[in-house]
Amino acid sequence: MSSNQFTVASPPTDAISALKFSPDPNSTRIVVSSWDKNVYLYDLRDENGVVGGGKLLQKFEHRAPVLDVCFGENENEIYTAGLDWDVRKIDLNTSEQTVMSSHEAGVRNVVYSREHNLIISGSWDSTLHVHRPDAGTNTQSIPSIIPLPSKPFSLSLTPTKLVVAMASRALHIYDLKALALLTAQADSDTANGNKVELEPWQRRESSLKFMTRCVACMPDDAGYASSSIEGRVAVEWFDPSPESQARKYAFKCHRQTAEDGVDVVYPVNALAFHPIFGTFASGGGDGVVALWDGISKRRIRQYQKYPSSVAALGFSGNGKYLAIAISPGFEDGKDDVPEGVVKIIVKELGETEAKAKGAK
Amino acid sequence: MGKKRRGPTLEELMARPWCYYCERDFDDLKILTLHQKAKHFKCDRCNRRLNTAGGLSVHMSQVHKEQLTEIENALPNRSGLDVEIFGMEGVPEDVLQAHQQRVAAQYHQAEAERQAVTGNPPAGSGAGGQPNKKPKLEDVSDLKARLAAHRAKRAEAAAGGSSGEATPLGAGQSASTPTSYGQPPATASPVSQQQPPVQLTYPPPYGGAAVPAAAPYQQQTASPVYPAFSPPGAAPYAPSPTGVTPYAPTGYSPQPYPGQPATPGYGATPPPFPQQQTPPTDTGLPPRPGSLPTLAGLPQRPAFAAPPINAQQMQQMHMGHPAPPTPATGYANGNATQTPGQISSSVDDLISSAAKEAAAPEKAAKKDKTKNTRMIYSDENTSPEEKMAKLARYAFSRSAFQQETALGEIPASVVVGTIRDQDTVIDPAH
Repeated sequence: MSSNQFTVASPPTDAISALKFSPDPNSTRIVVSSWDKNVYLYDLRDENGVVGGGKLLQKFEHRAPVLDVCFGENENEIYTAGLDWDVRKIDLNTSEQTVMSSHEAGVRNVVYSREHNLIISGSWDSTLHVHRPDAGTNTQSIPSIIPLPSKPFSLSLTPTKLVVAMASRALHIYDLKALALLTAQADSDTANGNKVELEPWQRRESSLKFMTRCVACMPDDAGYASSSIEGRVAVEWFDPSPESQARKYAFKCHRQTAEDGVDVVYPVNALAFHPIFGTFASGGGDGVVALWDGISKRRIRQYQKYPSSVAALGFSGNGKYLAIAISPGFEDGKDDVPEGVVKIIVKELGETEAKAKGAK
Repeated sequence: MGKKRRGPTLEELMARPWCYYCERDFDDLKILTLHQKAKHFKCDRCNRRLNTAGGLSVHMSQVHKEQLTEIENALPNRSGLDVEIFGMEGVPEDVLQAHQQRVAAQYHQAEAERQAVTGNPPAGSGAGGQPNKKPKLEDVSDLKARLAAHRAKRAEAAAGGSSGEATPLGAGQSASTPTSYGQPPATASPVSQQQPPVQLTYPPPYGGAAVPAAAPYQQQTASPVYPAFSPPGAAPYAPSPTGVTPYAPTGYSPQPYPGQPATPGYGATPPPFPQQQTPPTDTGLPPRPGSLPTLAGLPQRPAFAAPPINAQQMQQMHMGHPAPPTPATGYANGNATQTPGQISSSVDDLISSAAKEAAAPEKAAKKDKTKNTRMIYSDENTSPEEKMAKLARYAFSRSAFQQETALGEIPASVVVGTIRDQDTVIDPAH
């Protein structure tokens, strides 16, 4: 109930686009990408190893706002994607930046698959670029370009699959093994360029009626949750059998009844699964973070409202911390992003705080 | 008159205890306090249930050395510890009022919806029962009156417009009639407001009702008038009810028609009329032989005639009234001339109210759909990030940086012709 909560020192100066915890279970490192063109690296531990407000370790300036960031093979390697159309690799030790590939529009997402050693980026030019980590440095290794039917809005990985949520409520699930194989083939066969027509393992239509905002995969590789701009979250399973498909469901959340009885519906901007318990957190435009048990379909808890929209969420590798990126959200009828405080809040979770309580 | 009780009244709803933290309402206070203990004042660590937030806070700090920061399972704006709640005690006034307002709003909305669906009047208004019963109660005298009026009319027709005489006489006698007369439209209008479909779906009875509708006119001049001035009219009339037995249909039906020249389209009605009327007159004769011959038969008529006419038809009778305005004016009876005006205006009201009513559910349904949802972000095709990217301060022109980009490392296909502005729409097909 009473979890310790820290506010990370020296936050970005503009809206946060993404926030990732290091996948290393004992690490307390966080990378944050921001619209202020920088990528920030924080460590929650101070010199004495005490977890608290943490400190800013490094800041990497880009040419344009950065839309996504992710850790690579280890803690010292990150990949960034941004409005300058580039996908970059940054070596944290040397601060060396390498352009992996360039899209033909802003790059919205970048993810790294440790199991297959692939970097996948999704851009508003409606393509995915699949790179191997040596792309950019090794001219022999060029990324494969997978055309998509629509603009990708969110990517999420499991050890075996890649889920791509796109505009027009389209959703593709790719098999990473096939992706890796094709990329390897494309490398050796540069004659037909690097465009790869890859049939997704599954094509789905979003279970939600409105634009998909975020997608996140279950840590046990069984399924994924997706959220829409219309205060709703859907939980689905990969298994195409009718039994598994019958289990899928969606629920409303991140809504508030205004004084006049009108239900104000906020977009659900962020989803993150707990790496151990398999529960998930949702963050909405209303500034509320809620923890859900996707299996027993219950809300575990809901935290007090933050002053502005929740832009991103991340659990630490060991599931002990939940980082929440608070920044003003883009709302309808506004030409500009409203003024608001940009904050990164880290919650230290109680042992059972994010644990499913089990069906009552 | 045990009316079926449907749902709680607003007062009952308002009186229900409810939980400050989650706005749920309960049957009684005890259950509410149990709920609060179980849902909001339960210690996370040891499952102990405390009575209040303060109690829980003290428990947490003393037993578990932790600080309680918020109430569990509470609505986002209610999870604070600043208010001390126990049951319904301690709920801030403004929150209480807001809750009551919402309950009332919900109640009225549900009521309106139910009304729209069932066409029933609002609970407790009593208007639902009234119109159904009233006409039945009235119709004995009504029908009697109608017949009398009809006869008077006939008499008048026969007398060649000696209506001037009828007025004073009729006025005295009909003192009660106008009231009951004026009533039907009054009571009928609420009914039809609530039952617009009924109104609209009964055009056929309209024709049938028109025949009895003629009767109210008779009422004004009823019995006293009749003997006073219309012996000529009475004479031809009397035979019909009295001499009914075999001839009633033929003898009877022609009469109303001459009396009502202004009512066209009634052609269909004659058959039902005599059919219904014959038996009553038949049996009606013996019980009242003493009174005037015409009257003798009359009182009986409604007794029999009324039942087959259901409430709606009854209403229709009143509604249908203005249709024959000519005879009414011909009366020159103060009440009579007045009533058509009243009625026609009430008919107008009815029509408009029915129209309004018909439109109302539609509106309500529409409201329901759009109801209560205002999306903070509703652009279906452009993500918030894309919109943000278009803002001037985030604008990025790739061409300006083109020189910098390490071209050699980038696949040719990507670079070719990529000197585009950020806002350029890129066709993925290319």
